[in-house]
Amino acid sequence: MALMSSLLLVQGESPRTSEYQLKAVFLFNFVQFVDWPPSAPQDSQPPPPLLIGILGDDPFGTFLDETVRGERLGARSIQVRRYRRIADIEACNILFISRSESERVPEILSAVKNRPVLTVSDGDEFASQGGIIQFFTDKNRIRIRINLDAAEAANLTISSKLLRVAEVVRTPKR
Amino acid sequence: MNARSHPTSLLLLAVALTITASPALGQQRDSLQALKRLTLDQLMNIEVTSVSRRAERLAQTASAIQVITQEDIRQSGATSLPEALRLAANLQVAQINSREWAISARGFNSTSANKLLVLIDGRTVYTPLFSGVFWDVQDVLLSDVDRIEVISGPGATLWGANAVNGVINVITKEAKDTPGLTLVGGGGTELQGFGTARYGGTLGPRANYRIYGKGFARDRTLLPNGQGAPDDWHMGQGGFRIDWDASTSNRLTLQGDLYDGRSNQVNRGEIAISGKNLIAKWGHTVSANSDVGAQMYYDRTHRDIPGTFGEDLDIYDVDLQQRALLARHDVVWGVGYRLINDRVANSPGLAFLPPHVARQWFTAFVQDELALVAERLHVILGTKIEHNDYTGLEIQPSGRLNWTLSPNFHSEEELAYEAGYRHQNGPWLLSLATFYSHYHGLRSIEQTNPPNPTPLVIANGQDGESYGAELAATYRVSDRWRLRGGYTELRVHIWPNPGSTDTSRGSAESHTPDRQLFVHSSLDLPAHLRLDGMFRYLGKIANQQLPAYAELNARFTWQPVAALDLSIVGQNLLHNRHAEFGTPTARREIQRGVYGMAQCHF
Repeated sequence: MALMSSLLLVQGESPRTSEYQLKAVFLFNFVQFVDWPPSAPQDSQPPPPLLIGILGDDPFGTFLDETVRGERLGARSIQVRRYRRIADIEACNILFISRSESERVPEILSAVKNRPVLTVSDGDEFASQGGIIQFFTDKNRIRIRINLDAAEAANLTISSKLLRVAEVVRTPKR
Repeated sequence: MNARSHPTSLLLLAVALTITASPALGQQRDSLQALKRLTLDQLMNIEVTSVSRRAERLAQTASAIQVITQEDIRQSGATSLPEALRLAANLQVAQINSREWAISARGFNSTSANKLLVLIDGRTVYTPLFSGVFWDVQDVLLSDVDRIEVISGPGATLWGANAVNGVINVITKEAKDTPGLTLVGGGGTELQGFGTARYGGTLGPRANYRIYGKGFARDRTLLPNGQGAPDDWHMGQGGFRIDWDASTSNRLTLQGDLYDGRSNQVNRGEIAISGKNLIAKWGHTVSANSDVGAQMYYDRTHRDIPGTFGEDLDIYDVDLQQRALLARHDVVWGVGYRLINDRVANSPGLAFLPPHVARQWFTAFVQDELALVAERLHVILGTKIEHNDYTGLEIQPSGRLNWTLSPNFHSEEELAYEAGYRHQNGPWLLSLATFYSHYHGLRSIEQTNPPNPTPLVIANGQDGESYGAELAATYRVSDRWRLRGGYTELRVHIWPNPGSTDTSRGSAESHTPDRQLFVHSSLDLPAHLRLDGMFRYLGKIANQQLPAYAELNARFTWQPVAALDLSIVGQNLLHNRHAEFGTPTARREIQRGVYGMAQCHF
């Protein structure tokens, strides 16, 4: 029987970032680099929160909640919602579609069609299927593919700062 | 003497202290607040790894790490894994003859270097004959290698007892990253001919594969008197890899290799080496904070050295591990089982006894990395429990060498202290690692009936220490020209304990130069041309009376279109021939070599 114990003391960087921690920070950035059309003036005080919805199995755990906690866009707070069914989706501003829903992406996209919802997913082919922002991984780094046609159809304006670092595609003509 | 099956004990306490200050590497820090402050460009430069990836655990070890990238390997013109390992300044790499290499970290280099753990895609490459590596059969398609991580220093909890001085982790690309057909061919003076074919494709929407085949023939080395040592050899190898992202939370990998080679030797029949291996891996994401990984592999090697010995070795290995991120804790735990079945055919000259050995290991470990001060101070606490049973080997001298691993042979213990510094400033990147290690119970060769010189047994009758510094620097002269250098100072002292009859003073344990220096230059020239140079200097190996030497490799490349790459490579250009390892009569001399190569991709 052997027993080996070790104590290692490390100061400095730990070069490790979880994939979904990083994607959560990207979603937070999208809030700042996308302009939604002004909604109908509301008398409600305070203004409605900016909603980030997750449809399907939540891959973020607590990362997304921790990322947006206490953050505001202007006067609006940012809140996270989780949906199981397409019918559950409310008027969210960003909709993250989990890879668990990859089989029914067309159905989901048609449900939010022409609504100002920034659809985001890391499913394969998401952008060419008509989704707006697709995460993909290249050499262990997160990359972004943006379907500009889909963004325009949703009446969203994407900042050039975001477009500059993204791969821009158009919806394939049928 | 016929040794019995015996449980051994090991108490190893490794204390390592690494201090790294790296303002420019701050973007790698995992703190959420730090991430949120980053620009989009910076976010896109962060490397992400799935928590179950074995490779990633290395990056957390408090040790000196060097990473050899695919680009480094390609630019070096390396044609084998040992040649590629010359790119890591924290390794001691010496070519012994056309087929054999001595490779170690932090000293203790010998043909049977036993303090280094070598992994290829998670498979431990290892022979229980001397707890070392037969480098001649550790081949991969170098163009499919994603990176090689080289850690010098205590491998700590997560690795086995063999990782006392370092870990070499070879990681190949996923199948999706090697699409299409690639053909490579060439030949020259030392590496006389070689060819490679690899094809990658898809099996389904989330399943990819690649298959490859390769072969080469290498010329012999020279005896010290300048005559040819008949150790020319050739080998063929083929293999495959399949990666399947079965669902959002499940990843499967299946890969395997098959190889067969022949080598000449002095006045005896041809040496035959062959083998095969198969690895299956499963990675499962439990939640955003937890991953599970399982892997199993089978590895068979056959080695027939007429007049010396023959060996058939089967290794079966199963590992399961989980990693969980809980608040400030990063916990990894795992269990493993390994069965080794070793059959040896002995000769009148050398005998391993008993000829058939079956050994098994059970391992369990747990490690907790606790962030005491976020981004600043982490403590890693770990425990490893290992159970192994082993039987002995016997070698009798004078016509029959008698070498016994007696039941008194315990695992060696090491106490190590490390301090390091990393600095990035403009075009400069500097890293310095210093270390002191004390070894207790090093392998000794004891006389069983002193003063009779024989028989001899292997025991743990020696203590030793090693200390030194590893300095690595990169300087970007311009966008087109990059210089990289590495310098290592290393001292190893070994002494017998009271009562030990060992007279070798560790001469069997460490054949290492006091210092080594590397300078690599990569220069992009106009007109799709490129010139790479690799200079190395290694100090003398005192206990082998081996003189210091300096050598230069160079590669000149023309890439007229992206799909075609033509290059000419010179290896060991400064001398007609030179020796890197071995005593004056036993050593082989390596000749200057030049080869040409064409690579095309469809």
